[in-house]
Amino acid sequence: MFRNVLGRLVTETVGVHRYAKKASLIPRVTPSCVSVRSFTDVKDEAQQPFDTSLLEFLVCPLSKKPLRYEADTNELINEELGIAYPILHGIPNMIPQEARLLHKDTDSSPAPTQE
Amino acid sequence: MAASVRQLVRRVIRLSHRNINATAAGGPCLPGCCWGPSTGRCLSDAAGDRSTHFGFETVPEAEKAKRVYQVFENVAEKYDVMNDAMSLGVHRLWKDILLHIMNPQPGVRLLDVAGGTGDIAFRFMDYVRSQQERQKQRAVRSNQTPSWQDISSNYSGENEDQDGLRESRAVVCDINKEMLKVGKQKADGMGSAGLSWVVGDAEELPFDDDQFDIYTIAFGIRNVTHIDQALQEALRVLKPGGRFMCLEFSKVTNPLLSRLYDAYSFQMIPVLGEVIAGDWKSYQYLVESIRKFPDQEEFKGMIEDAGFYSVKYHNLTGGVVALHSGFKL
Repeated sequence: MFRNVLGRLVTETVGVHRYAKKASLIPRVTPSCVSVRSFTDVKDEAQQPFDTSLLEFLVCPLSKKPLRYEADTNELINEELGIAYPILHGIPNMIPQEARLLHKDTDSSPAPTQE
Repeated sequence: MAASVRQLVRRVIRLSHRNINATAAGGPCLPGCCWGPSTGRCLSDAAGDRSTHFGFETVPEAEKAKRVYQVFENVAEKYDVMNDAMSLGVHRLWKDILLHIMNPQPGVRLLDVAGGTGDIAFRFMDYVRSQQERQKQRAVRSNQTPSWQDISSNYSGENEDQDGLRESRAVVCDINKEMLKVGKQKADGMGSAGLSWVVGDAEELPFDDDQFDIYTIAFGIRNVTHIDQALQEALRVLKPGGRFMCLEFSKVTNPLLSRLYDAYSFQMIPVLGEVIAGDWKSYQYLVESIRKFPDQEEFKGMIEDAGFYSVKYHNLTGGVVALHSGFKL
C-alpha cells in the first residue's frame, strides 16, 4: 500500500508542474525508497527479460553489423569480431571496452577492445 | 553541527576566491578567444598529447570521459532532485518547450542520447499518447452520424486499424549505467511501453544507419569529449528528413542577467550540490562546463559542419538555455 502511494507520487511529480519547493521534497523521498525496493528485488531485476525488438536497429558500435542475442549467457554476440556485449538488468551495455572477447575455450575474462 | 557549518563556510570562501580568479579569466569566453576548446586542442597538439577541458581544468582527452562518468555516477541518485532545486523547476518548462517544438506525431521513433534518467523520453511518450487520444476523439467526433455502410465497415475494420498504426518508440541511450538504472526504475514504476534503454557512447552509437526520426540530446552534449563525432553519429542514425534537436546551456546575452546568472551559478549551485547531493565538485564541474561550451552561433556552425540543414536555434530564458535544431536531408 505504501508502495502504491509512492508509485502515484512518482507519477504525479513527473507529469505535473509544481513549485520547486514542493517538487524537491517529494522526489527526495522516492530515490532512497526505490533503492530499498531494488535491494530486496535484486534477483528479479537480474533476470529481467531483454527486449528482442531492440535487435531491429541495435548493432555493434564498432563494426555496425547486426548482433545475435544469446539467451543463456544473456549477451549480444558479434560473431565477426568475436565479442559479446553483456546485458544487465535488461539494459544492454554497448560500450566497446565493456565487451568480452569470445575465445575458442570460452574464457570469461573482460578484455579491452580497440576504440 | 557547528563544525560542519564552519567547514561549509570555509569551503565557500575558498572556492569563491578560486571562482573570482576563474571567472575573471573565463569571463571573456568569446569564440576565437584562447579559452575556446578548439584552440585548446591546437595548443596541446604541439606537446604531442591531445588535451581538452574538464570544466576550467585542462585534462588529457582520454581522461575527460572517465571523469565525466564519475561525476554522473556520483550524482545519479539525486539527479532529478538537484535539477529541480538548481533551476527552481524551470528545467521542466525547457523540456516541455522542446517537446512542443518537436511536435512528434504518433508512430515516430525517438533516440534520446545522454538521456540518463529519461526525462525527454517520458515526455515524448506522454505527448504521443495524448496526440493519439486527440486523433481518436477527432475521428469519433467527425463520425457522429455514420451511414449503415460506415458502421458495417467499422465492425470489420476495427482490429486492422490498431495493427496498422506503427507504435511510437523511444530509445534512451546513455554512457552511464547508473543514470539509466535510475531512469529504468522510474519507468517500471509508471508503465514503460515503447521505452528502451541502452548503454552506449554518443561518439559511437550502437545503432544502424537511417533508423530514427528524431534525435535529441538534452544537456548532455557539453559532456561529450568529441562533439563533432557525436554530431556525425547523429547524422548517421537519423532517417533522411529526420530532425536533430539539442537543448544545452548557452551564453546569456543580456549583461545584467549574465552577472546574476554567474553569481547564481558559482555561489549557489555548488552549495546546493553539497547540501542536497553531498557533492560539491561535481556541481562545480557542471557550472564550469557550461562556461566552456561554445555559444549559440558557434554551435550552430558546428551542427552545419556535420552536415545538417536548416539549422536554427531558440533562446530560452534569455539565453540561459538554447534549443538548436537541424534536419538531415
